[in-house]
Amino acid sequence: MNYFQLFGLSEKFTLDNTKLSEVYQTLQKAVHPDRFAHASNQDQLVAVQKSAMINDAYQTLKNPLKRAGYMLKLRGTEMPNEQNSFSDNAFLMRQMELREMLAEVKFAEDIDAAVFEINQTLDSEFSLLFKALQVKLNECNSAADNLAIEDLRKLKFYQKLHVELDRLEDLLFED
Amino acid sequence: MALLQIAEPGQSTVPHEHRLAAGIDLGTTNSLVASVKSGEAQTLNDEAGNDILPSIVSYQEAETLVGEQAKKFTVSDAENTIVSAKRLIGRSLKDIQGKYPSLPYSFSGDENHPEIQTRHGLINPVQVSAEILKSLNVRAEQALGGELTGVVITVPAHFDDAQRQSTKDAAKIAGLNVLRLLNEPTAAAVAYGLDSGQEGVIAIYDLGGGTFDISILRLNKGVFEVLATGGDSALGGDDFDVALVDHIIEQANLTRPLSNAMERQLSQQACIAKEQLSQNNQVEVNLTIDDKPWSTTLSKETFNTLIAGLVNKTLRACRRTLKDADITIDEVIEVVMVGGSTRVPLVRSEVEKYFKKLPLTSIDPDKVVAVGAAIQADILAGNKPDSEVLLLDVIPLSLGLETMGGLVEKVISRNTTIPVAKAQEFTTFKDGQTAMAVHVLQGERELVDDCRSLARFELRGIPPMTAGAAHIRVTFKVDADGLLEVTAMEKSTGVESKVEVKPSFGLDDSKITEMIIDSMTNAKEDIQARMVKEQQVEASRVIESIQAALVEDGKLLSEDEITAIENAISSLALIAQTNIAADIEAAIEILNDSTAIFAERRMDASIRTALSGQSVDEV
Repeated sequence: MNYFQLFGLSEKFTLDNTKLSEVYQTLQKAVHPDRFAHASNQDQLVAVQKSAMINDAYQTLKNPLKRAGYMLKLRGTEMPNEQNSFSDNAFLMRQMELREMLAEVKFAEDIDAAVFEINQTLDSEFSLLFKALQVKLNECNSAADNLAIEDLRKLKFYQKLHVELDRLEDLLFED
Repeated sequence: MALLQIAEPGQSTVPHEHRLAAGIDLGTTNSLVASVKSGEAQTLNDEAGNDILPSIVSYQEAETLVGEQAKKFTVSDAENTIVSAKRLIGRSLKDIQGKYPSLPYSFSGDENHPEIQTRHGLINPVQVSAEILKSLNVRAEQALGGELTGVVITVPAHFDDAQRQSTKDAAKIAGLNVLRLLNEPTAAAVAYGLDSGQEGVIAIYDLGGGTFDISILRLNKGVFEVLATGGDSALGGDDFDVALVDHIIEQANLTRPLSNAMERQLSQQACIAKEQLSQNNQVEVNLTIDDKPWSTTLSKETFNTLIAGLVNKTLRACRRTLKDADITIDEVIEVVMVGGSTRVPLVRSEVEKYFKKLPLTSIDPDKVVAVGAAIQADILAGNKPDSEVLLLDVIPLSLGLETMGGLVEKVISRNTTIPVAKAQEFTTFKDGQTAMAVHVLQGERELVDDCRSLARFELRGIPPMTAGAAHIRVTFKVDADGLLEVTAMEKSTGVESKVEVKPSFGLDDSKITEMIIDSMTNAKEDIQARMVKEQQVEASRVIESIQAALVEDGKLLSEDEITAIENAISSLALIAQTNIAADIEAAIEILNDSTAIFAERRMDASIRTALSGQSVDEV
């Protein structure tokens, strides 16, 4: 049973988040270890396993990038190894530029404004790529899936930049 | 003694009996116990009519005192009177001495298992907590008129694995069955949410004596979903006292080191001054220095300046946690204040300023955690089978492994909903490598040295292969108590080696047994009898729950399968009447194993039932 089936959802990229979280809560109400705190050890053991699986399924389906990766895996298109080189030089150049922007934030005169600006840039470039990914995933053929994998890899670069920006922000506000 | 009653399947199981359960707020400064009585959760009083038990244990010549009685000895016998043991639990000696340099105790024991020298010998902080738990257990049994089936014990959400494990060990020494370790802010949210019927996003700001937690939750139709939690397991009202003490020492021209009694006198007076400043704009601090009276006036302004940095630290944690929860300040509909230290006016005004709304202070900040724990204990004990309440909690700190170069690779990130299981694969880096060191860490930083080391173990018996050919799978499992179990396995050749982790700071089973024996104050009590009784109770619990399951879901099994389980039940019932604990334990194990398939089928069936209640869309 794959995660979509587990949640009674069809394997589409676009899904209803409210519905997803409703089903999640219903399933957890059925299997959460709290329901079996007084049951036999065997029941408790199985409850922990099922509950952990449902948590993982929920996180996978809820997060759009994880969901995309999961769908592609179900369709037999695996992520290439991280070490595999990128052929898109323009994209790599852009990543280096963004990294430089990030490194310079702490020297900015108005740090708040600099953080805001880079946030905006990251968000808009992310959502452009994300829309492209969405279109490719909806085509449901292996040629499009192979292209979608490339988009997904790129989106993960943006995700990493976002994490670094968060960390930077924490540091700057901590002082 | 009629411990075991066997019923023919389908015929009985015990109609619903009310099981006695309690919620325990094991606090740094004060502890409480509460229980649901005739549908209402309430804190339980001692004989003198007090519900608050000071978390103080004093080891006196003839007896071990707990609470108010122990409090009398805090100044006169500081070395043998342990206060705020919660700050020491699950910590290394280095941690403790770095954080609290002026404690009046003399420590010994090894680096990872510090013990305090008292006139009762060496005492581990876990044993101190066990004494407090025992005292609350006695109180609960008297108030409820029977033995407790189990308890829910609350811990700061920010407690790491070692601190949680130590709390559970304390309960074991005290002879309590822990139904669940529950995060304090989550317990408070349950009490508040069920009482107010409020739905939406709430923040719980919990500043106790020694710990600070901030949790962001979404409340929806009985589900309490923790979105994120943050805080500091070593920041609380005690730190306000410490700041005040340092200030007073300066004013009085005293120089450290001071006598233990003087340190205690200072912290007591500081604490009193702090409490009075919640009402007044200035207070008089009176001390006896070298047998002479000394006094100074302390203004609220000075106090506020002294603690401003600490309060700010809590707000920074709020900011980070809101961000983790992906929630803006405007989305928070209510900020609930929990913990005695939220009485400090500066805390209230700063929280109000930060969240841009008046924090809720109408519920008793001292009792709300115990009340929430009692509600959850009642549910977990099985007294409310139709309850819609479900708590979805998270892990507070990331868990990871040491990799090359002293770096930490995260396996489970903070604020992941529990229970959770995650696996990561590693490989060997040398030809013919047959062992691999696994170092488990908790924390957010990238360097091993900046994180909390939880455990180290070695996976041995890897078949010799070329570098990179072995596939070593390390699995992290965090249960609903927030406790971690790590296993490692080499799988490429089908040869499995499996190791379970023993936390570096925890106590091993033999040490716990030793402490249980130590804790038996009554000569008539005997460890053997206690262990037999524990296993008998467990046996009857297991039989009861399996019989109930057979009645409910026997249709999921073939006749042969039912017979096999029934046979295992009968033989356990027989063995349980003997008095050899190990035999009963083994028979319980056999019965549990015989129900593996049954448990799996039941769980899958309940998932199907749950789903069919939903309108399954678009399939």
